[in-house]
Amino acid sequence: MSDEDDKLRETIRSLLAGGLEVEVFPRADTHDEVQAIVGRLQANGDLKDRLAIAGFTLTPIEHEGIEQACETCMYYQVHRCYCELPELDVPVEPQWSCRLWRI
Amino acid sequence: MANLLWLQGGACSGNTMSFLNAEEPSACDLVTDFGINVLWHPSLGLELGENLRRMLDAIVSGEIAMDIFVFEGTVVNAPNGTGEWNRFCGRPMKDWVADLAKVATFTVAVGDCATWGGIPATAPNPSESEGLQFLKREHGGFLGKDYTSKAGLPVINIPGCPAHPDWITQIVVAVATGRGGDLTLDEFQRPKTFFTSFTQTGCTRNMHFAYKVSATEFGQRKGCLFYDLGCRGPMTHSPCNRILWNRVSSKTRAGMPCLGCTEPEFPFFDLEPGTVFKTQTVMGAPKDMPTGVDKAGYIKLTAAAKAASPAWAEEDLFVV
Repeated sequence: MSDEDDKLRETIRSLLAGGLEVEVFPRADTHDEVQAIVGRLQANGDLKDRLAIAGFTLTPIEHEGIEQACETCMYYQVHRCYCELPELDVPVEPQWSCRLWRI
Repeated sequence: MANLLWLQGGACSGNTMSFLNAEEPSACDLVTDFGINVLWHPSLGLELGENLRRMLDAIVSGEIAMDIFVFEGTVVNAPNGTGEWNRFCGRPMKDWVADLAKVATFTVAVGDCATWGGIPATAPNPSESEGLQFLKREHGGFLGKDYTSKAGLPVINIPGCPAHPDWITQIVVAVATGRGGDLTLDEFQRPKTFFTSFTQTGCTRNMHFAYKVSATEFGQRKGCLFYDLGCRGPMTHSPCNRILWNRVSSKTRAGMPCLGCTEPEFPFFDLEPGTVFKTQTVMGAPKDMPTGVDKAGYIKLTAAAKAASPAWAEEDLFVV
């Protein structure tokens, strides 16, 4: 983990803890819903907007009986604690979550 | 000496290009080393016009024996079942196929179009295309499900878009040298020797599959292509990573997701925008699981494997 990642991670934590409004639901259950959210992310470069569109939370969301934590997401890099979905590309924590979670 | 005739229906010639690039054995080896007499081939045949017509008539009448009938491309039935959209030597190609299949000792379908209809047979299938003995997964096709060649075998299907050159020549050699009876075919009439293992078998990204590290963009030197980029390697039967292409590589080794082109459903998802090169998901889990894996087991395995993944699995790594 780099200092740069740590700083940005802390910024994100502060934004979310400070009440940034995010779209936690609906979760991206279907391919079309994933595509729609990814399309919106591609059109928005601002960090706050991306966090809101992706529906970031500081704790895992349980959806349809599955806990959707970053640490089990396919885009999560375990050792760097990083989300490498190209449209997000942000440092995260294992217990964070977003609605683009996929396994 | 075994006489071979190769014809093309609704085809792009991709399988001919592949065949002409064969190395083990090569197309020339078939003639010089294995006693195969190529009666005619669209790219190699010398006869034209009436001379070709006379040859085809002689084959149909039995005057010239045809040991191996190779067909590439779909059987085109349009318009309205007449086959007039694909005429050859003075009549619809489908009529030639019907007559030639009756006198063939072995009939071999090469490529997806000839086996199950391939891309041309994708809905709405304007050319009314079908494969020789399948239409996608449905058994039957143009020749009907009960068809057998004079040797007693159904159509030998060598799918792929295109089929690997060595799959073609090795099957042709097996048949020409009297070992056709040794061929065992799977439920889709594919030779088991090639189509029992998966594309994933031998993939150099298998370690990333095991540790659930995903490639998220093309060209990355790390990561499995199954999780995000739509790779169908874990559920596609082919030896693409055992019998390498050009002897050196494969799609997945080069960072290109497997498209599943040896399976009857190819092209998957009817080529709808956003469905190619993107793993389809339902509730965050892949819609199509690796063959034999259930969703609950997959989720448990993935969570555990990801937690155990070593740091090197997330770094760039030469996988070619």
